[in-house]
Amino acid sequence: MRTAANLSNGEKARITSVDLRHPSARRILEIGFTPGQEIELLNKSFFNDPLAFAVRGTIIAIRKDEAKSIIVE
Amino acid sequence: MKSSQPVVILIGAPNSGKTTLFNHLSGKNFKTVNYPGSTIEYHTSGFQSQFNIDAILLDSPGIISVIPNSPDEEVTINSLFEHPSFGKPDLIITTADASQLSRHLLLVKQLIECGFKVVVAITMNDILKDKSLAIDAEALGKLLTVRAVKINAKTGEGISELLEAVKSSLQEPAKEIKKEVCERWNDSENLIKTFSEIEEIENKVLRPLNPSQEQLEKANKELSSLILQEDENKILPESKTLKIDNFLLHPFWGLVIFFFVMALTFASIFWLALPLMNLVDYVFAFLNHAVIRELGHTWFSDFIAFGVIDGVGAVSIFVPQIIILFLILGFLEDTGYLARGAMLIDKPLSKIGLNGRSFVPMLSGFACAVPAILAARTIPNRRERLLTIFVIPLMSCSARLPVYVLLLSFLTPPDYYWLAGLGLAAIYVISILSSLLIAAIIKRFNNKIIKAKDDSSFILELPTYKFPKLSIVFHNAMISAKAYLSRAGLVILSISVILWFLTYFPDYNPNIPNINKASEEYFQLANSERIENSFAAMIGKVIEPVMKPLGMDWRIGLSLVPTFAAREVFVSSLALIFKVTAKDNQLQVSLISAMRNAKIAGSNEPLFTASKVVGLIVFFIFALQCMSTIAVSKQETGGWRIPLLQLFIYSTLAYALAFITIHGLQLFGIP
Repeated sequence: MRTAANLSNGEKARITSVDLRHPSARRILEIGFTPGQEIELLNKSFFNDPLAFAVRGTIIAIRKDEAKSIIVE
Repeated sequence: MKSSQPVVILIGAPNSGKTTLFNHLSGKNFKTVNYPGSTIEYHTSGFQSQFNIDAILLDSPGIISVIPNSPDEEVTINSLFEHPSFGKPDLIITTADASQLSRHLLLVKQLIECGFKVVVAITMNDILKDKSLAIDAEALGKLLTVRAVKINAKTGEGISELLEAVKSSLQEPAKEIKKEVCERWNDSENLIKTFSEIEEIENKVLRPLNPSQEQLEKANKELSSLILQEDENKILPESKTLKIDNFLLHPFWGLVIFFFVMALTFASIFWLALPLMNLVDYVFAFLNHAVIRELGHTWFSDFIAFGVIDGVGAVSIFVPQIIILFLILGFLEDTGYLARGAMLIDKPLSKIGLNGRSFVPMLSGFACAVPAILAARTIPNRRERLLTIFVIPLMSCSARLPVYVLLLSFLTPPDYYWLAGLGLAAIYVISILSSLLIAAIIKRFNNKIIKAKDDSSFILELPTYKFPKLSIVFHNAMISAKAYLSRAGLVILSISVILWFLTYFPDYNPNIPNINKASEEYFQLANSERIENSFAAMIGKVIEPVMKPLGMDWRIGLSLVPTFAAREVFVSSLALIFKVTAKDNQLQVSLISAMRNAKIAGSNEPLFTASKVVGLIVFFIFALQCMSTIAVSKQETGGWRIPLLQLFIYSTLAYALAFITIHGLQLFGIP
């Protein structure tokens, strides 16, 4: 299963679902990572964590652990 | 309580242009970005008189949903439904960024469904225009069943339409506001459903602009690129920000730049603030001497010179540093860089139980722990928030700077100014490292010290880069400095005055025989006599047993007592106590030479030696000596547990480490 955490810099993917068991799932959805949305991994921090994604016209930084709950095509 | 005027609240996501709109409508400048440095308080004002709307206008910190995710958001959302002083709002103006419409419409839709009367102000239309897209505001309004207006608060474009919409909406009858409705979005399935409704709306209102000749030619050449680009445009922010991020968030260079920016921030605090602090020092020393020169030695002139003037001086001396740090922080924040800093530092901080969001509160701690602890509200996870609050007092706040400057200039020869600078840098590094170490240790002890469940997260929007409006940055720094002064200023001044009383009474008019009462010698002797029999000396002698192991006598002990209320008082209380005991015939004796000449009471041993002064520095690095910090820590952690633990742990640590330092250095032959 591919998640947003598997993307490499500049790679785009479409979200298929968000793992609702993740404690931050609601916030991840609220901030715009919803099924059907296309996202792009823009930058990785020094330790490859957190990751910066382009979503719905803005940039959101989330931890790798949170990115793992975003399942992509 | 509800006033007769209608209440209009401005609500919107962070970075949605809400602040600019508020400034435009109210005609004033206020800070409302809900990240560090800002407060949770509502800014209230009216509409500018030229707009002809008689209503109360409130601003609020940015939120993205009606379901709170941090204590900061909880306060904002609660007061939206039931404002503590204004009740329920009559109308909400909500800002939505056109270039990220679908994200910002979530809040708009939630507010409408909760029953609020809403007017939507669509901002950042120029960014969308650069992508050859535009929003059909009228269609959006119809689909949402409210009024929607495109505005540009900088140029004033669309403002008159917005005001018309506000006036008409205010006339309409109020609907019932139901907070229960919010619960719906606690359910993730409902969130996804709301977003798909929003996407449907967005698809209907987002229109491509009539392509220009140039674009048509380009499209002809690249055939389908016009449509392809449209899809990409919807997810990517503006390209300028992407280009800068490739550099500033570079896996390697990003970190190098980050440390460079931080180093530059601290360097500029020293080099910019130090001359100003010396100037403040000079001015108050001048005033002090002028009063004594003009009024002679009476209890009244002594009170004015050493109680009041030195007290005000103690308050004023670190104002330059506070202003400069808030200026730099405000500038970095408004450019959009601080959010990137938080992202870069999140991983290492999370290793020791903190969060990338702890970064800015900790940074603010170098100015003053009080606003820093308040800024920790933006950390959603309770454990990380408590841990951040716990270590903030270790950040070397500006109140400690005058103390360090005094002690370092005692240690270093006058010609080696750079040596003192180096020492200061070392103190700051030690304070940062010790805070990280203590955070790591506390993380090990886990639930024993900080009780909270662990659901750590880091989700942060990185706003587009902007050049900050300098007048707003300056205005905000002034507000922070003023808030700081009103909070700490009175405390410090009162302590200074109380201390003066303690050192002057009860033997305020000592009887010294056989000496001309007008001579300088008389005053010196009278001062010594007075302080030796003073209330202060009595207190000092009670705590002397505690100071003895450190090789210090009651005078240093006494100077330290008031520092537990506010540390900066150390310099003035030391001055107060030693100016009157120094056996120096010059009136204008500096504190440093007074310190050099001071002997331990009843012996010929010098009171201040290199090892003891280093020990004092170590003491000040760790000791939690600030009433305001303890009060704010109690308020923000919801009890006495954390502040008392802080007070106990840091005081014990300060004393123990000072003891080890002094005796360790003496073991190596340093006096």
